[in-house]
Amino acid sequence: MRFVLVAAAKDIRRRMADPAALSIWIGLPLLLGGLLSFVSSGASEAPPRARVLLVDQDNTALSALFPTAVRQGNTPIDLEEVALDEGRRRIDAGEATALLVIPAGFQDAVVGTGSARLRLVTNPAERVLPAMVRQMLEVVVEGAFYGRQLFSEPLSRIARSPQSGPAPDADVAAIAVDINQRLTELQGVLLPPVITLSVKTGSGSQPLNFGQLFLPGMLFMAFLFIAQGMSVDVWDEKQEGTLRRLLTTPQSAGRLLLGKLVAGIAVASIVACAGLLGAVALFDLAWSRVPVALLWCAYVCGALLAMLTLLHLFARSQRGSEMLSGVVTFPLMMLGGSFFPFEAMPAWMVAVGRWTPNGLGVTRLKDLLYGDVSATAIGLAAVGIGIPAVLAFVLSWRRLRSFANA
Amino acid sequence: MIDVQQLRKQYGDLVAVDDVSFRAEKGSIFGLLGPNGAGKTTTISCISGLLKPTSGRITVSGHDVVTDGPAARRHLGIVPQELALYSDLSAAANLEFWGSAYGVTGEPLRRRVAEVLALIGLADRGKDHTSTFSGGMKRRLNFGCGIVHNPKVLLLDEPTAGVDPQSRVRLLELVREQARAGTTVIYTTHYMEEAQDLCDRIAIVDRGKLLAMGTLDELRRMVGEKDLVRLAGRFDPAAATRALEAVDDVKVLSAAADVLTIATVGASRKLPAIFTTLASAGSDIHETTLSVPSLESLFITLTGRELRE
Repeated sequence: MRFVLVAAAKDIRRRMADPAALSIWIGLPLLLGGLLSFVSSGASEAPPRARVLLVDQDNTALSALFPTAVRQGNTPIDLEEVALDEGRRRIDAGEATALLVIPAGFQDAVVGTGSARLRLVTNPAERVLPAMVRQMLEVVVEGAFYGRQLFSEPLSRIARSPQSGPAPDADVAAIAVDINQRLTELQGVLLPPVITLSVKTGSGSQPLNFGQLFLPGMLFMAFLFIAQGMSVDVWDEKQEGTLRRLLTTPQSAGRLLLGKLVAGIAVASIVACAGLLGAVALFDLAWSRVPVALLWCAYVCGALLAMLTLLHLFARSQRGSEMLSGVVTFPLMMLGGSFFPFEAMPAWMVAVGRWTPNGLGVTRLKDLLYGDVSATAIGLAAVGIGIPAVLAFVLSWRRLRSFANA
Repeated sequence: MIDVQQLRKQYGDLVAVDDVSFRAEKGSIFGLLGPNGAGKTTTISCISGLLKPTSGRITVSGHDVVTDGPAARRHLGIVPQELALYSDLSAAANLEFWGSAYGVTGEPLRRRVAEVLALIGLADRGKDHTSTFSGGMKRRLNFGCGIVHNPKVLLLDEPTAGVDPQSRVRLLELVREQARAGTTVIYTTHYMEEAQDLCDRIAIVDRGKLLAMGTLDELRRMVGEKDLVRLAGRFDPAAATRALEAVDDVKVLSAAADVLTIATVGASRKLPAIFTTLASAGSDIHETTLSVPSLESLFITLTGRELRE
C-alpha cells in the first residue's frame, strides 16, 4: 500500500510540473460552461412571464372577477387592463404576449342562457407563453360552464336582479339558501372526493437555474479530461522507459496501476472540491451535501480512469491511443450530459446518455446536490459503474507487462 | 550471486536465447559480449523478470526469478540500455522514487540518495529537473537509479551506448566500485575493449547461443597464437579456399566475393605466399589487415563474422 501512495505522489508531482495540461482540464469545462451560460442569457435570470393585456367591455361584477382570479396563486402571468385601442396597438407592436377582450354581455351570458365570445389575440413572435395563456383561459371557460350547470337557478335570480343599486335582502337570502341547498344535494357526490390528489414536493423543488443545471455536467467534463489525460500516462511511461524499469522492481503491475488511479482520483477530488465549494457559494448548496457528492465524484472519476487506461493499453501507438480515447471521450461528453444538461437534450439522447458511465455519474450527482436520492439508487449506480471499472482494472493488470515489452 | 541454467527464450519459430548457462559470483563482473541482436538484452530481460523464459532456470541470491519473482527482484538493480528516468522530476526525486520501489524509505533513503548523487557527480544538481541534464549526466543518473537500493546483483545493459568518452570512463569506474563493494555485476556490451578492460569473466554470445566463456586469458588461449588476416578485394570464394589449403597452417575462417578472413601463425611472414597463391586463384587483393589474437579474433574465429557486423 505504501508504494501505491508513493507512485501516486510521483504522478501528482509530474502533473504539477505540467500546469498547462492541468489548466486545460479545468479551464475548458469552465470556458464552455461560461459560453453556454452566455448563450442561454445568463444563469440567474428569473423565468419568463406572460404579459396579457385585458380589455373589459362588460364592466360587470363577474368580468371584474377575472383579473382577481388570474392574479391569485403563482401564475406566470402579468395582467394589465387597457383600452381596446391601446391593447391593439401594443399587441401589434409585439409588446405583450396576448390581448384578451371580454365583450359586453359576458356576465349575462354566464349567469343567463345566452352566449358570449371571449377574444384572445396572441403574439406570433412568442410560442410557449401564448400557449400557456390559451390553456389557462380554456380552464376558466370550462369552469364557468360547470358553474352554470350546477347553479343555474341562483344565477338566473342574480341575472333577474335590478341592474342598479343593491339587491333586496330577500333576494340575497333566497340566492344564498338556493346555493346552500344545491351544495347539500351534491354533498354525496362531491364529498368525500373521488380522486385524492397528493402533491409531493421535494426539498429541492425550487426551479434550478442554468448554472445549477450545468455544474454536474461541467464537473464530469473536467473528470473526463482528467481521466483522458492521466490514462495516456501509461504511454508516456512506456516511451520514457520507466514502465519497463518499474516492472523489474519487486512491485506488482497492479500496484503501479493502482498508484495511477489514486493520482487521478486525487486530482479529480481537488477539482470536484473547488466546483462544489463554488456551488455552496453561488447556489446556496447545503454544506451537508458536499462530502457525499465529493466521494461520488472521486469514485466515478476513478472508474472512468480505469476504463480509459484499458483502452490505451490495447492501442498500437501513442498517437493511435490518443485518437482512440478522443473518439470515445467526446461522444461520452455529448451523450452524458456534459456539453449540455440532460434537461436541454432531446429525449432519445437522454435515454441513451443516462446509461453511459459519466451520464449515470451526472444524474446521481444532480440528485445528490439538488434532490433526494436513496442509498439503494446510489448503490445501484455505483455497482453499474464499478463492475466495468473493476473488469477494466483486472484486464489492464494482465495486459501491462506485454504492453511494456511490445 | 546469479545462476543461469539452460535458459531458452523463443518467440514462435524465432529462438532469441538458446540454452545459455552461466554463473556469476559475488563481487565479480561478468560480461556478455556480442553484436546487436545476439540475445544479450533478452537474457537480461529474462533475469529481471520482464520476460518469462520458455525454459531453463534463473536464480538471484537463491531466489528463482519465475517462482519467487518479487524476492529475486528485490536483490536486483537494473541499468537499462535506454534511459529510464522521469524527465519532469528532479534527479533527487527520481532516486527517491526508484529507492521506494525497492522498499527503501525514510531517513535511510534520504541518506542513500545524497550518497548516490555524490557518487555519480550530481550532488549540486540534485534539485534540477532531469530534462535540463546533458546526455552524460542522464546516463550517470540512470546508473544511480539502478544502485540506489544497494542491490546484490546489478544488471547493466549496454550502459555506455552513445556516451561521450569522459562519461564512459566515469561510468566504468562506477561499475568497478560496485563490484569492489561486493555487488555481482552482469555487464552486456558489444564493445570488445570494454569487456576486456572491465570483466573478470566473459561469455561470447551470438544469435542466441553462448559460443565461449571464460576469463580473458582463457578466451585468448582458445584463439591460440594465430593472427588474423583480413583481405578485401575480388575473390572466387571456392577457388580461393581450395588454393589456400596448399599453404601450411592457414585456416580460412570465412570467404566471400569481397572479403576473405584467414587465421595463421606468424602471418606477416606468410603474407607473400598467401598473396601468390591467391593471385594464381584469380583473386585481386585491394587491402590487407593483420590483427594479433584478441576477443575480436576469437569472435571471428567462432562466428566467421566481425563483432560489429
